[in-house]
Amino acid sequence: MENLRLKYLKPLSKDEIQIIDSAAIELLSRVGIKIDAESARKLFKDYGCEVEINTNFVKIPEELMRENLKKIPNSFKLYGADGSFNFEVDTKSTKFATIGTPVKIYDPSQKKGIRRTVLEDTIQQIRIVDSLENILCSHIDVWPNDIKVTALHAHCIYQWYKNSKKPYGLGCLGKLASQDMMDMTSVIVGGEKELKLNPRLVGFMNPTSPLHLPQLMTNGYEIFAKYNQPTIIASEAMAGSTAPVTLAGLLVQIVAETIGGAVLGQLYNPGSPIFFGTVSNTTDMRSGNSAIGAIETGLITAGMAQMARFYDIPSRGPGAVTDSKVLDIQNGFERLQTLMFAVQAGINYITCAGTYEATLVEALELLVIDDELASICLRAMEGIQVNEDTIGLDVIRKIALSPKKGTTYLSEKHTRKYMKKELFIPKLIDRNRRTTWRKKGSKDIIERARDRINELLQNYVPPETNPDIEAKLLTMIKDIEERTIDLYKETEGISADGVSIGHVEIKTDKEN
Amino acid sequence: MSLEEKIEEAIVAWDEDSLKDLCNSSIESDDVGASELLRIIGRIMRKIGKLFEEEEIFLPDLIGAANVVKNVIDDVLDPAIRNSGEKRETLGRVVLGTVEGDVHSIGKDLVAAFLFSNGFEVFNLGEEVPPAKYIEKAEEVNAQIIGLSSLLTMSMDIQRQVIEELKNRGLRNKYKVIIGGSPTSEEWAKEIDADGWADDAIEAVMLAKKIIQDK
Repeated sequence: MENLRLKYLKPLSKDEIQIIDSAAIELLSRVGIKIDAESARKLFKDYGCEVEINTNFVKIPEELMRENLKKIPNSFKLYGADGSFNFEVDTKSTKFATIGTPVKIYDPSQKKGIRRTVLEDTIQQIRIVDSLENILCSHIDVWPNDIKVTALHAHCIYQWYKNSKKPYGLGCLGKLASQDMMDMTSVIVGGEKELKLNPRLVGFMNPTSPLHLPQLMTNGYEIFAKYNQPTIIASEAMAGSTAPVTLAGLLVQIVAETIGGAVLGQLYNPGSPIFFGTVSNTTDMRSGNSAIGAIETGLITAGMAQMARFYDIPSRGPGAVTDSKVLDIQNGFERLQTLMFAVQAGINYITCAGTYEATLVEALELLVIDDELASICLRAMEGIQVNEDTIGLDVIRKIALSPKKGTTYLSEKHTRKYMKKELFIPKLIDRNRRTTWRKKGSKDIIERARDRINELLQNYVPPETNPDIEAKLLTMIKDIEERTIDLYKETEGISADGVSIGHVEIKTDKEN
Repeated sequence: MSLEEKIEEAIVAWDEDSLKDLCNSSIESDDVGASELLRIIGRIMRKIGKLFEEEEIFLPDLIGAANVVKNVIDDVLDPAIRNSGEKRETLGRVVLGTVEGDVHSIGKDLVAAFLFSNGFEVFNLGEEVPPAKYIEKAEEVNAQIIGLSSLLTMSMDIQRQVIEELKNRGLRNKYKVIIGGSPTSEEWAKEIDADGWADDAIEAVMLAKKIIQDK
């Protein structure tokens, strides 16, 4: 972080980082990690790993891990569909993106205040993200419940092409769907070569805690890695239920899970980019629910940021997450608490915007608020700049000695020069006097955010698209829609009745 | 770049020297006279005021520009207009200040800058202004409006005292008195027999314009 002066939040000492690294490596080499996909197990075996036949646990020798961790790039660029927009992910800067996968959306016109999300919501969310300053990428966040689940990825890619200049993220939802994503995106960007050279898509590969890489995920991850698309490897372990209750124990486990995934990716395609990630949190000891807005989530995130820096790999962690079911104070303080921790931890890719109820529900209002919160956190990290000009002795002398009573710094050039640098000037936060606030409609921040959304959507100009590309994509979608669920099961080698991706349970025992 | 564009550039940059040079050379060369320059500056200041209202620019941008323009009018344009025997065009003349016992200046200065950007001639007396001083200045400059700012509950009563003093001197009907400041209200304005109350700088301009129209 070039201009950032506030020190990183470092819950771990240098020695403790080493201890966690050693423990994770020991765990992976002695206990191993369970890998469902036979082809992946075979790959590990070819590289000298021991595979437990009965449990499918793969034990990875330390040397193989160290050697492959070094192959992972410490920076890469992500491009938007038409290539005009890009940003770099590295181990120093802070970038913000959205977090999935809400299946409901805030809707005050409904009795319950929420409703199920549909494709139209997905489109609106992509458009809003496209209009925001800090939020650089959306990732099928708003789940289009009205779309057949086996063709959902195809519809989303199509809408991304039509509505965004920014990159896009999708779960590594098996090899068939992931290959569709690559094929469609190749059509959009003018070929596989361009896609591999200048990546457009962010993949999500979530190990299942403890120590398990599920079949569907590794199937999809193989495609993402081979196409060189940066993939987030992030466990959602919960302290006390799917990981040790101790944060140190949890860190060891998720570091091992992430390394297991990362090494597999390097075996698929050496040098393919990944994010060293976490969405791990805690278990509520009263209900057993996940507690993503917990203060400990911030500590876990900060610990993982340190581990990622130790391996020199860009990090990914959650921010602006809350367990609140309404747009209340808990919602607000948990968002800022988790976001500020992530920023202060030096997480390089913070997935953060637009959700509540443990990321189950989307609110476009929160999306624009989080964009502002991101600016606020970045401002905090800039700290206090001290030099002769910022101290401004001359201007202090001038104002203090001014013969005119009531002279302020307001009309000083010094003020004008530094005001935007020193003071973050918010768009949504209200600082008016009550009377002025009342005159403007007595709106709370959610209502003001709604106004902003309406304004952004009204003024939204979609990118220019190519009719030939559109036609090709639509033909591809049609073909994809005609596939049966059995074809998916067969291709992915899934025998179970269903898989769960984020908040979405995909049943494979009947047509969706 | 046209003269108006050059003037605007100088105002936006708070470049008082350039603005004075532009005005002086224009007057000397008989190109554009002082009254016309004042009209041009008025247009630019209204534009800046509108940008402020629309939250495109910030408080220092507005107040700083108004300060620069005020200095140029006082030092260059006003003398030139007087020399030519013309009268300065103005929407009206406002004498304003923060009342005695109160040093708050920011809101009052914003009102001054806003009135000024909207074409009023503004005599800003500063802070801690005793009642007599408002009246004397208003008499001196032949003002139509007296504006009283008070940010303290303790100093609010001075607003009443200014009006009482006007009555004592038999001048109450000669001036319209408008008041403002966070502890004040519409009710308070009625109670002390003021002619109007404004909640903020934008309302103050609307109020002043209405008063001038009704006069």
